[in-house]
Amino acid sequence: MSIFLKDINLKGKTALVTGATKGLGRGAAIAIAEAGGNIIAVGRNQLELDSLKKEIKKLKVNYTSFNCDINNYNHIKSFISKLNKLDILVNNAGTNIPEAFLNVKKSSMETILNINTKAVFNVAQLCANQIIKLKRKSGSIINVSSIFGLVAGQKRTVYSMTKFGVEGLTKGMALDLAKYNIRVNSVCPNLVLTPRTKKYFKDKKYNKYVRENTPINKVVSVSDVATSIAFLASEASSMITGTSLIIDGGWTSK
Amino acid sequence: MLKKIDLKNKIALVTGAGKGLGKACAIALAEAGAKVIILSRTKSDLVNVNKIIKRTKGSSLSFVCDVTKTEEFKKILNKISRLDILVNNAGNNRPEHFTKVKQENMEYLTNLNMRAAFNVAQLCSKKMVKAKNRKKIGGSIIHMSSQLGKVGCEGRNVYNMNKFGIEGLARGMAVELASYNIRVNTVCPTFVETPMVKKFFKNTKFRNKMLKNIPLGRVAKESDVATAVAFLAADSSEMITGTSLVVDGGWTAQ
Repeated sequence: MSIFLKDINLKGKTALVTGATKGLGRGAAIAIAEAGGNIIAVGRNQLELDSLKKEIKKLKVNYTSFNCDINNYNHIKSFISKLNKLDILVNNAGTNIPEAFLNVKKSSMETILNINTKAVFNVAQLCANQIIKLKRKSGSIINVSSIFGLVAGQKRTVYSMTKFGVEGLTKGMALDLAKYNIRVNSVCPNLVLTPRTKKYFKDKKYNKYVRENTPINKVVSVSDVATSIAFLASEASSMITGTSLIIDGGWTSK
Repeated sequence: MLKKIDLKNKIALVTGAGKGLGKACAIALAEAGAKVIILSRTKSDLVNVNKIIKRTKGSSLSFVCDVTKTEEFKKILNKISRLDILVNNAGNNRPEHFTKVKQENMEYLTNLNMRAAFNVAQLCSKKMVKAKNRKKIGGSIIHMSSQLGKVGCEGRNVYNMNKFGIEGLARGMAVELASYNIRVNTVCPTFVETPMVKKFFKNTKFRNKMLKNIPLGRVAKESDVATAVAFLAADSSEMITGTSLVVDGGWTAQ
């Protein structure tokens, strides 16, 4: 029994994770399950939702999944509003299409803005309302942001616009939800090696760009981000709200 | 996937460890498995903290030390074989309106909160980089900053100056020490129920005014801050450097 150290313990808690099939979302789901939390996985690929089920079930926690594109408001609303357990949201689903500002296609801008901003807002609002409706004593919402929610990067104007937006949303939500003891924070990782970013890392120039901008000479792993998400989800961080946990090996400290 | 807060085989030094946050940090680090070296000016406080750590089956070593006396601190550091973690905590505050700040108070606070903090950090860093396997095992320095290292507050101009300074120091150190895999971060708590703050809170008008600024509606507990420090000390945060973990219940989100 510790006096001052609070464990990352999520026993008895239920977490909804969007974009749970791959990369950071999948990692976050596994980390939360390892800390004892039950998982509700939302994603668009049934095969991957099923393979995640196998992994999560090994950890002896409950697993539910919902095959859904969160851009479809009514579809996700009907699911979230029927949940009878919900304490944590990992608001992770997002995308990026790197293009130089002058050449950003209208369709790319719409795609990124819709998911990274509008769907992220909607899922957050639906989950917050559901956590309040279920009269949970506490809740935690983690918006997956990025270092590009804090600084700019080349060919990332739309992504930065949406992630800076998520940073603002995080702070605003934190204030509005504090009286329900629902905490809201973001995680801001550097470029993480995931299935989606693998193709970027193969580009020598890009690889160099990441390494040169990261004072700690390592690439951020999915596990680094998933651990921070689990920390923010748990009571170990019960006074942390309205802020960003930056996992960038020093990128934004320069 | 989940990296637990585990400090086994780590040696940590905590300044200002006799009371309040330093004491809580020392105990939390010991609870996470670290061997803790505790420094304070007051022998009886050290005896007490040693006792608590022993009771929780932890390991600690204590030295009476005024960290503003650099030579005294150097001698203690020479007695230590290795150092992996520094919690640069010793600090104080003497609230006064800007126009009324006494010269001696400005000198006292700045000498302790900045000069001593710098010297301790520099000496400990020198010790840490000497370890041959440092790059492999990493190191972590945590400065005890404050929400007042992020925003201003009435009667806290000197403290603001000192803690904003520490925020700058942390970023500079992070960039320079990254090549040794030594991470440098700050923790920025809101008002915590420590002996120092209890004294300020005897003024109920002040207390109520401050509480109004904390969206979560409560002051932080020592365990909230100590857990954040342990998280930053551990490999749980191995890609987090040059940033601040803000433990303020939403104060600075507004």
